[in-house]
Amino acid sequence: MFKIRMKFTKKGYMVFISHLDLARMIERTLRRANIPLAFSQGFNPHPKISFATALSLGVSSDGEYIDIEIEEKIDIDEFERRVTEQLPEGVEIIQCMYIDKKSQSLTSIVEYSTYIVKCNVENDVTEDVIRKKIEEFLGNEEIMIYKTVKKRNKIKNKEINIRPMIKELGLIDKNDLTCIFKMTVATGEQGNLKPDVLMQKVNELTILSIVSESIRIQRLDLYAVKNNQLVTPIDISASL
Amino acid sequence: MKKLDLEELLFKVEKPARYIGNEINAVKKDLKDVNVRVGFTFPDVYEVGMSHVGMHILYYVLNKQKDIYCERIFAPWTDMEACLREKNMDMFTLETHSPIKDMDFVAVTLQYELSYSNILNILNLGKIPIKSEDRKEEDPFVFAGGPCAYNPEPLADIVDIFVLGEGEEVLLEMMDSYKKWKGTGKTKKDFLESIAHIGGVYIPSFYDVKYNDDHTIKEFEPKKEAYPKVITKRIIENMDEVEYPDKVVVPFIDIVHNRAIVEIFRGCIRGCRFCQAGMIYRPMRQKSAKTITESAKKIIEATGYEELSLSSLSTSDHCEIEGIVRGLMDEYGDKKVGLSLPSLRLDAFPIEIIEQIQKVRKTGLTFAPEAGTQRLRDVINKGITEEDLIGVVKNAFELGWTTIKLYFMIGLPTETYEDLDGIADLAGKVIDAYYSIPREKREKGLNVTVSVSSFVPKAFTPFQWHPQDTIEQFREKQSYLKEKLRNKNIKYSYHDNKTSFLEAVFARGDRRTTDVLIKAWEKGCKFDGWGQFFEYDKWMEAFDECNIDPHFYVNRKREYDEVFPWDFINVGVTKKFLEREDRKARDEELTLNCRVKCAGCGINQGLIGGECECLK
Repeated sequence: MFKIRMKFTKKGYMVFISHLDLARMIERTLRRANIPLAFSQGFNPHPKISFATALSLGVSSDGEYIDIEIEEKIDIDEFERRVTEQLPEGVEIIQCMYIDKKSQSLTSIVEYSTYIVKCNVENDVTEDVIRKKIEEFLGNEEIMIYKTVKKRNKIKNKEINIRPMIKELGLIDKNDLTCIFKMTVATGEQGNLKPDVLMQKVNELTILSIVSESIRIQRLDLYAVKNNQLVTPIDISASL
Repeated sequence: MKKLDLEELLFKVEKPARYIGNEINAVKKDLKDVNVRVGFTFPDVYEVGMSHVGMHILYYVLNKQKDIYCERIFAPWTDMEACLREKNMDMFTLETHSPIKDMDFVAVTLQYELSYSNILNILNLGKIPIKSEDRKEEDPFVFAGGPCAYNPEPLADIVDIFVLGEGEEVLLEMMDSYKKWKGTGKTKKDFLESIAHIGGVYIPSFYDVKYNDDHTIKEFEPKKEAYPKVITKRIIENMDEVEYPDKVVVPFIDIVHNRAIVEIFRGCIRGCRFCQAGMIYRPMRQKSAKTITESAKKIIEATGYEELSLSSLSTSDHCEIEGIVRGLMDEYGDKKVGLSLPSLRLDAFPIEIIEQIQKVRKTGLTFAPEAGTQRLRDVINKGITEEDLIGVVKNAFELGWTTIKLYFMIGLPTETYEDLDGIADLAGKVIDAYYSIPREKREKGLNVTVSVSSFVPKAFTPFQWHPQDTIEQFREKQSYLKEKLRNKNIKYSYHDNKTSFLEAVFARGDRRTTDVLIKAWEKGCKFDGWGQFFEYDKWMEAFDECNIDPHFYVNRKREYDEVFPWDFINVGVTKKFLEREDRKARDEELTLNCRVKCAGCGINQGLIGGECECLK
């Protein structure tokens, strides 16, 4: 058994397929590429492919990761070439490498994502004002959101403080009414903050009047934390 | 459509991937190299249309021609329609996102009557006039084929060209004529004239219909002598030589049948008297085991599908089915490609093989006795007995199955309440069979689904003369069954009979029903096959305003000498044969399947020479 970690993009029209669709597409791609996939045992065998974290419909990404388990070792460049040939437009391999088969799963290591968020605002405020507003926003010790959680058919309203989930948030560019923000937020099992939720909160607590339909989100990369530093899932494996 | 404009819409709709195209194996061509553009239209939502194997075949056949570009068109869901209308944007194709009016042909597949209103909606969204006579020289031709084209008349004023029968050859013949016509500056009518003689082609505007005082048809006449009086359907003679797609478009989103499909034969030997497919697709023509296995290999390699399905009207009737299934299981078991065998007559197939296919995950077995008593099963020529059924079911319970589905129809000719009792009895016997097996030898959790649909008499069947039950009759029968089927092990489901009523109008409708269709669409009717959108009252208003009585088409008993709207079509099976079958039905007399004895349906006198393949 061997394990390959693959980093890839999801762009163009491919942003319109869901996480489940992506999983199915990847499996069929690997089958077409004739990759000797390893399958789970049991009633309904399925290939051992595991994702880091789901990407919302409509969000593009430069940094998606999966781990693929295979039965026989093949040359990694050969793997990349064969898979690339079969991938649809919009999904492109950035890097792949063999990792230790006992490596921790992607879901257990990923803690942060960096996003770029582009949106239009109704009120033309200067960059300085926006930066000040963001600073004030981040100055709050608590930023509460309400989340409805379904548990065993019961719908519960949960109050969550998202402030600890925001590692970084800043305006990086502004052109007329179009603003571009960059943010690093918690992602994964320990805590997950979606950029649109954060932007909605920014909108509520500042005077920016963001046009919600105009929000476009791009994920730049995923990160694990090692020695208090953010490292990508590829780098963390490479450094072992 | 510009990519940016489309993207704006995609952020607003549910399931945007319905509209993106660009799937694996979707055909890309440079429009500079293309002479003829065909918009293959399935008038339902993407997930339904993409599941249809006929579309994949014709898409492949047309696109194999360098200078033809076949693109796909599906009915936009209501949210996308609202966006298009709001922005005044045109209905578009999936491959190039071009306006559909840029096509040379809008080619519509007619799979069920309740999709007709969607055709009108798609044309309108594409800014193409709905009636043929309103379309201009620069508008595309609208052509149509598929099973419902065997009664083309309800769409006669809308469709320019119908193609009857299997399309692989006739489509290319038509395209050849089109290429000769295109650029000559001649009129669209000239083109239609040039193809009127091609076998299987029906140009409705070249024919006149006259009616009797009682509203039945008096005569159906070509406007010129040069036009054929009878249109004969097309068939592919050699199924081993016909093109079959390997590079099938693989959808990104989940669709109704999300798997590789290999066709194993066309036609059917069974001759069930209610079944249109069993008549119109005759004769039975098999693909050889070699062709099937090769197709399976190629399609799995080209798509990466994890499941393969063998498709036909009655899978177990392929002469070599057991060998084929075993071969495929040997080949693909290790590769974890699943196999599914729909339309299997379980009385005619070893259940041990099904067990091997389903291995541990026993998904349930489906049986279609269609009627509750032996008497009625004989009337409809469903040669299946209670002993057959109970025998197989018992065997299945012993092997660990617990989920059984039973399909029935109500409203069949000669049906009485005794036959309805029979449905409940049969379901009861299935339950008894389960409990007759010692507790330790059966799995827990018996689950019997009784699914009851309402019979719709169809053209070119022995029951084409029969009235459909009224909505009230259906309703009474459904609630009677509901009472009868009260049992903790039984789940009872039935169809909305108002949609069956509408289906029955168009299944045997004539040219006068076109106006009703247009009127109903104007009132907002669309997606009539989808319960949440079907608006019976609007349809009834439309009938009313057009002064058309739907009961004339649905609930009227026809005489044997009545001229039907579809009589000018030769499907190979003769009207005499259908009449003979109907008389035999009344006498509760069976007709043996074609392989045992030729029933003399007529298919081998004209369409094909000599004996049918199934007798050889």
